[in-house]
Parts: sequence; C-alpha cells; structure tokens
Amino acid sequence: MSQGLTDNTACAVCPYCALLCDDLVLAQGSDQSFTVNGAGCRRAAAAFARAPVAAEPLIDGKPAVLEAAIVAAARLLKRARRPLFGGLATDIDGIRASVDLAERCGATLDHLHGDTLAATARIQQTRGWFATTLSEVRNRADLVVVVDIDFAQHFERFPQRCLGPRPAFDSGGVQPRHIAFVGARAHLGTALDAQTVVSCNSARIAEVLRALLARLRGHPLAARRPGGATLAALDQLAAQMRGAAYTAIVFAPGSLGPACEPAIGAVCELVDELNRTTRAALLALGGDNGGQSAASTCAWLTGFPLRVGFGATLHYEPLAYATDTLLDAEAIDALLWIDAYGSHTAPPKRAPLARTIVLGAARPDIVKRCAVFIPVGTPGVDHFARLIRTDSVVTLPLPQQRDSGLPSVAGVLTRIVEKL
Amino acid sequence: MLTRLKGGRIYDPANGIDGEVRDLYLRSGRIVAAPADPREANEVIDLSGRVVMAGAIDLHTHIGGGKVNIARMMLPEDHLGDLVTSGTHPHLGCGHAAPSTRTAGYHYAEMGYVACFEPAMLAANARQAHLELADTPMVDKGAYVLLGNDDFLLRALAAGRDPQYLQDYVAWTLRAAQALAIKVVNPGGINAFKFNQRKLDLDEENRAYGVTPRQILLALASAVQGLGLAHPLHIHGCNLGVPGNLETTLATIRGLEGLRAHLTHVQFHSYGTEGDHKFSSGAAAIAEAINANPNISLDVGQIMFGRTITESGDSMRQYAGSAYADPKKWVGMDIECDAGCGVVPFRYKNRNFVNALQWAIGLELFLLVDDPWRIFLTTDHPNGAPFTSYPHLIRLLMDRSFRRDMLTTLNPDAAAASHLAAIDREYSLYEIAIMTRAAPARALGLDGFGSLGPGARAHVVVYRDHADRERMFATPEYVFKDGQLIVRDGRVVAEVHGATHVVHPDYDPAIERDLGAYFERHMTVRKDNLRVADDEIRDDGRGALVVHQTDARA
Repeated sequence: MSQGLTDNTACAVCPYCALLCDDLVLAQGSDQSFTVNGAGCRRAAAAFARAPVAAEPLIDGKPAVLEAAIVAAARLLKRARRPLFGGLATDIDGIRASVDLAERCGATLDHLHGDTLAATARIQQTRGWFATTLSEVRNRADLVVVVDIDFAQHFERFPQRCLGPRPAFDSGGVQPRHIAFVGARAHLGTALDAQTVVSCNSARIAEVLRALLARLRGHPLAARRPGGATLAALDQLAAQMRGAAYTAIVFAPGSLGPACEPAIGAVCELVDELNRTTRAALLALGGDNGGQSAASTCAWLTGFPLRVGFGATLHYEPLAYATDTLLDAEAIDALLWIDAYGSHTAPPKRAPLARTIVLGAARPDIVKRCAVFIPVGTPGVDHFARLIRTDSVVTLPLPQQRDSGLPSVAGVLTRIVEKL
Repeated sequence: MLTRLKGGRIYDPANGIDGEVRDLYLRSGRIVAAPADPREANEVIDLSGRVVMAGAIDLHTHIGGGKVNIARMMLPEDHLGDLVTSGTHPHLGCGHAAPSTRTAGYHYAEMGYVACFEPAMLAANARQAHLELADTPMVDKGAYVLLGNDDFLLRALAAGRDPQYLQDYVAWTLRAAQALAIKVVNPGGINAFKFNQRKLDLDEENRAYGVTPRQILLALASAVQGLGLAHPLHIHGCNLGVPGNLETTLATIRGLEGLRAHLTHVQFHSYGTEGDHKFSSGAAAIAEAINANPNISLDVGQIMFGRTITESGDSMRQYAGSAYADPKKWVGMDIECDAGCGVVPFRYKNRNFVNALQWAIGLELFLLVDDPWRIFLTTDHPNGAPFTSYPHLIRLLMDRSFRRDMLTTLNPDAAAASHLAAIDREYSLYEIAIMTRAAPARALGLDGFGSLGPGARAHVVVYRDHADRERMFATPEYVFKDGQLIVRDGRVVAEVHGATHVVHPDYDPAIERDLGAYFERHMTVRKDNLRVADDEIRDDGRGALVVHQTDARA
C-alpha cells in the first residue's frame, strides 16, 4: 500500500536484519543515501549508506523501459512450465504478490534462507518448542544463555536492546541478569560481558548442548570433554539454569551451520526439561532479508511455510524444493530471482540466466546476461513496507524514507500478473 | 437493479418473522421494502419451498493471527488431507483444522456465513492478525484484543490506578489494535505462568503483582461497560479444562456483580468431579446460573470427534494440556509482556470417556439454556472442532433421534453419565436463526447484520428445506452478500472482500504519556509502531473499515 514520505524527524525502522530496530535516526545526503546518526549498527550504517539503484531495466542485456521489461517478464513466465521464484527477499506485500503470480504460472517458492527456514519449520512440525520474544527476554529473563552467536557479525544490537537493561518484571525483587555464553568465542559486542562461558568447538555445538542436557538431568557422561567443553563448565551452567527463575536460550539457526537441526533440537529439550520445575523459553534469531515475513505470509496464504509449488493443487516439498536442489537437477525452466534489499546478491551459480528474471539491485556482469532485469526499491527505504520481526510476533510498519521512484516488488509483480 | 426473491419461507427473528412465506427485495446491496408493483423487479428468483435466513455470523473463531499461523506451519498433515484442487475455489489453499486464509473464507461463505470474528488478537501481534484477516475473502471480519495478562495493566492494578485510567488504557488498546471488543483469557494466569505459577484460581494472587483474576475481571468488565461497547467483556475464564471448574465458572458469574459479560467456550468450563472418573457434567448447574443471570451471554465451544488442533492464548492451561498432544508435538510461547499462546494438536475420540462426556456437556448446555438470544453456536474453531462441522452440530440440536443415535456410539460410561438422552428439546429453525444470525449481530452491535428487514444489508441465505438438517445447512442454494450472489449450490461463484469492524472509543490522551514512558523503558518496539493505521486496514481499497459508534457513559 502507498503511504507518504516519512517525517524526517521521526525514527526509522531498519529493514536490514530481522530485529527490525525502530529507533534509528537518519540524515539524508545529496545522493539520497543516509547517514545513521542514532541507534544503528555497522550493518545498518553500511546499507543505509547506499544510494538508490541507478540502473535501468534490461531485456537480454539491453536497456528497456519498465513497461517493456514487465511484458518480457510476463512472456517468459507464461511460456515456462516449471518456474522457480527464488530469493524472495522482499516484504509482506511482495510475498502476497509472489504467491498470486506463482499461482497464475505454476511456480515453486523458496527463499534465500530457505534451508534455515525449512529446518526451523521442521522442528515445529516434528516436536514443537517453547519460545519467547524480545521484550520478554529484556524484562523477564534473569539468565540468558547465548548459543554461539557472534554479535559483531550479526544481530549486533541484540545485547544492547535485550540483555543490557536489568530485568524489570520479577516476582522476587529485581535481580541483575546473568549472561552465559556457550561457543567458541564469547562476543557480546557491547560493554556487556558473559559471566559464565562454556568454551567449546562451534562445529560440535549440538554435542555440547546434549552434554549440558545430560548434566542438567543429572546423568553421567562418558566423554570428558564433550565438544571441547569441560564438565565443570557444563555443571556450573546447569546449576545456574536450575537456579534461575526464567532462562532464555538464544541462538541463531543460520549460524549453526549443518548442525543446526540437532542443535536446535537440544535447545528445545533443555527448555522442556527446565519447564518441568521452573520457567524457560528459547529465542531463535533469524529470518533476515524478509525471511520471517516470507515464511509467515506464505503459510497463511497457502498453509505451507515456503517450498510450496502450484499446480492442479499445492505441492509441499521441504527438501526437494530447495533452490539448489532444483537447479542441480535442472528441474526448472525459468527463474524469477527477487532480492529487494539492495545487497547485489547474485542468483545462484547454476541459474539458467537466459531464462532468469532478476528483481533487485544490479550486478552488471550478471544482469547483462539475464533475460530480464528490473531494478526495485528496498522495503522501508524506497517504499512503505511491513515486515515480521525475528520472534514472529511483532510486525513493524516501515515508512518510505526517500523518493527514489523505484517500484516495489509487489508493484512490479502485480503488473506482471496483469500481462499474463 | 431490483431483485425479487419470491415466495421463500422467511426466518427473521430480528423482525419477529417465524417461517412466513414472503417476498424479499434487494437493491444496491440493501434489503428494501416491497415496491408498489412487484413487476418493477428486474430479476425474479423463485424460492418456493425454500428456507430463507439472513447471513450467518460466527462471533468466536480463530482464523487469524500468530497462533493460528503457528498451527498452519505445524500441521502439513492436516493440509495434505484437505488440498483444494484447481477449479474448486478462486484460489488454491488447503486445510481442515488450520486452513489457509482464503480457504477459510470460501468455506465460511459456502455455509452461508457473512461475518467472522477472531476472538484472541494480541496488541503486539495486531498488524499480522489484520493482514491475515485482509487475506480472508468473502466475509466481513473483526477481532477482540486481549487484555488482562499484560504487565502494564497488572502494574496499574497493583498501583491502585483509578477506573478512569484503566478505561483510557482499554480505549487506547482498542484503537491501537483496531479491535471491536476486549477479551480476557485466563485472567492474570498467562502472566502468572511466566512467574512459574501453574494454576490461578479466581481469588489467587499473581505472585509478582498480588492481583487476582477477580480484580482483573471486574476492572475490565467495568471499563468495557463504561466505554459503552456493544459487546461486553469476552471472558475465557480461569481453570479451563480442569475437572471441578464448574465452581470457578459459577463463582465468576456471581463475581461479575451484575456487570454484562460474555463467557466463551463454556463447555470447557462446565466440569464436575463426580463419578468413578472424577469427571462429570456441570452443564445443568451452569445453565441454571445462565438462565438466572440475564447480564450473561455465552458461546458453547462444542467438541466433535476427530482430529483438530487447539490454539489458545492460555499458555498456562495449554502447557498442562500438552501432555495429551496427538500427534506428540506442540508450540508454546511467552509473548511480549502482553500474553502467551499454546498450540496443541488433539484428537477427540468418541470411545474416550472424557471426550465423549465433553461432547454431551456441550449439547446439554445448548439444550438447557433457555434463551437462544444469549447462547451462540460455536466450536471455538478449531479448539472443539473445525467450523465446517457446524451443519452437523445444527442437526444434533434440531433432531433428537439423530442425537440419541449418536449417543449410542459413545463410550458407554459417558453416555450413562449424561442426561442428554432424557432431554427432548429440539431447536426450531427460528431458534437456529436467532443463535446464528440475529443474536450475534445484536451482541456485537453490527447494524444491518442478522436481519432481513428493509434497510438491512442484503446478506441472504437460501436453503432447500431438507429433512436432514446437516445436508441443508452444509450447502445453501444461494448466498447473497451485500446483494451480490457469491455462492450457488454450495459453490463460490464470486470472490468478494469484506470490511473490518472496529470501535474507536475516545480516551484522555494523557494515557499516552505513561504508555510512551513504559514502552521506552520496557518494550522493544516503539508505542506508535504498535498502532495499526486506518489506511493499513483500507489498504488502497483492498479492505474497508467500519467504525462502530460507542455509547460512552459519564
């Protein structure tokens, strides 16, 4: 939907990670880039510093007007029998339009972070979990266990926003918060320190968490250094968890690597074990590039959280419909690649470029070889957008910050539908 | 364009019409008075022998928002058994207990429903709930926003804030979340669960705030009444599902001290502890209390046998219920110092004593509560059963021999423990029209709904008068919404998008200062970003906003 430009004195909402910090103060430069003057992080500063995409639409590498590019995209999708819509790095309205277009042309949907989104969906589909949200962690958790997140790289402001303030809602007087870190290198990024550190091998984090679960249950362990952690450190953390009123275990599925599912499963079990006698919950940080919005919106529109295909009926294949799997099998005959966050992400290596439509920012060497390229704006920067936060509870409204004239993904896709 | 619906048998309790053969005239989306000359009609549809009612209204159905979407994500097995095939509906979709938004809208329209209300929207999650409702076609919609477990309210009560302050906060919340009414779920209990309390009786104090559920209920019911909302406080009481909770429910009715209130899914709150199983029906005692207290309305939350999923804000009780998850998986959440949720798949079995008695208790409530204007037909979709089971439920209410036949298939101990076999009452078509049309329209203050009188919105449902009432109500012959034919012979023939119904009561803007400071200090989102703008609902014409007047008292 359209809304006017935001009042420049208002705080901006940052679309560049799923924390969706809504307290940024921006100053616009002459090239329509922004300086973050308050409450940002390194990622936000770098992303807001980008000027709007200056490129023109291209058809077969040659400049074209938008209308012609839309017609060319529609023609390509109409001819395709098994198109894939990948990337899907957009906002809620972009996903709504993607679903409608996919239904019209029999496409399959996957996201840039489809592997991680599918893994967390699979956890919910097989065992479920007990989760919490940012404000609950901030106000209620007297113990926060951080599982191997490098906050210098990712979710930089989480420690400041959720761990720094003293928990305020407490039944036994306000207690200081205890922070524990399980992983290779404790890095909270700000003036905070973890009071308890369980040093271990990141690649073996699932093993460490399972050992912690065993110690929490009072079970003996054969291994002396499970995953590189000492039993003394594990026992100390287990005792702290037993003694805490509300333990929050925070992890980032996307940085857990191939071990993500076993590690998340162990976190779920730790929470379940604690909830038998005290209170605990987990918080998964993830869903960047509109990933959380894509999974949730696709779920309410189709019933399935992505990796769904449209045909005579819906087809849900959480493994087989992975972008790389489909490309490796040459199971698709057209690709619509959407990345509206201006990060110049290229389509995957095996993409059939001659039958690929790119909506996003230009990487000249790639887009020149694509069938159609249409530059689009960034949600919450070039147009009004709505995005779902990492905890899947809060949906933020992101006002337009500049008048770049770039269309939104939803705007372009809706026009493609009209041409079919 | 004037359409004449000729010679149907009209059941229109809003206007006291009980099965009279009359003509109806529709023009410009409204029902209009008969013209001087019937030949003025441009179109005539002969409805001889047909039964005609206003469009139906579901005032308690979980169709949008966080926990509903968690259920969708959790249940591919539910969807794969109910995939919509191409050509069936305007869009593909799926689902039985946790349908996709569009499929839910189509199924409601196919049964003659024109308005549905999501009863458990969180202020923290309101924007997403409205996005899902916007993607639910065919029906008008609205939502009740949850209060009573949010730390802001509990702190205000603990600090002894005056009723006007609480009323301002309630009004601000209604406005921010774009809600039609206020709901409370396990008052204070969801919050207490975050402090590791595992139960909270009506007079038990929340460990952190020293506030009791009784205080919360009185404060909210008073605030809602003070604001002049058409719908009174919508109450999901304490101790859901706990044997013996009928005493809590009776104490809640007494504790409301004559304030208006709606008790929801009362079936789950009507359990005694008699018998070998220490589980018995409290329906007679509850119905007696309802009959004696005209300030109270209720919906039943009937269960049906089969697979479903329970979605509730009541994280405390859902945690307890998770032991019975089938299949063995469940999702729980503590949410934004606002509320919580628990999503637990479940299978009600007719050979299971407790489930069989739950089924009987729901029906006993329907049949023992005298006034159909104060009892509404719900399954608490999908918690008791998916809403698509309503036609079956209507047959159970209208056909005692069918009811008795069903009783013989139940767990025999449960059948013996229930008084159902001895109840002869059968609902009439007029009473069904009251409880599914006229009464919910009145209970929610929906002008123009639930009526076939001149001036009403032209929501008209035409049924074949089949002796099998399940068949009759499952596939209406015609459904008109705002005068447009949207369903013919149980099939969607036109996709329409309904409006969202809200209230915008006034409040003293001073409350925003305290809220601003609270959000700054505690929350991870700014106060003004929680607020859903009118234009977001209108969404460039995809949606529409209907703001209902409130009747604020000094």
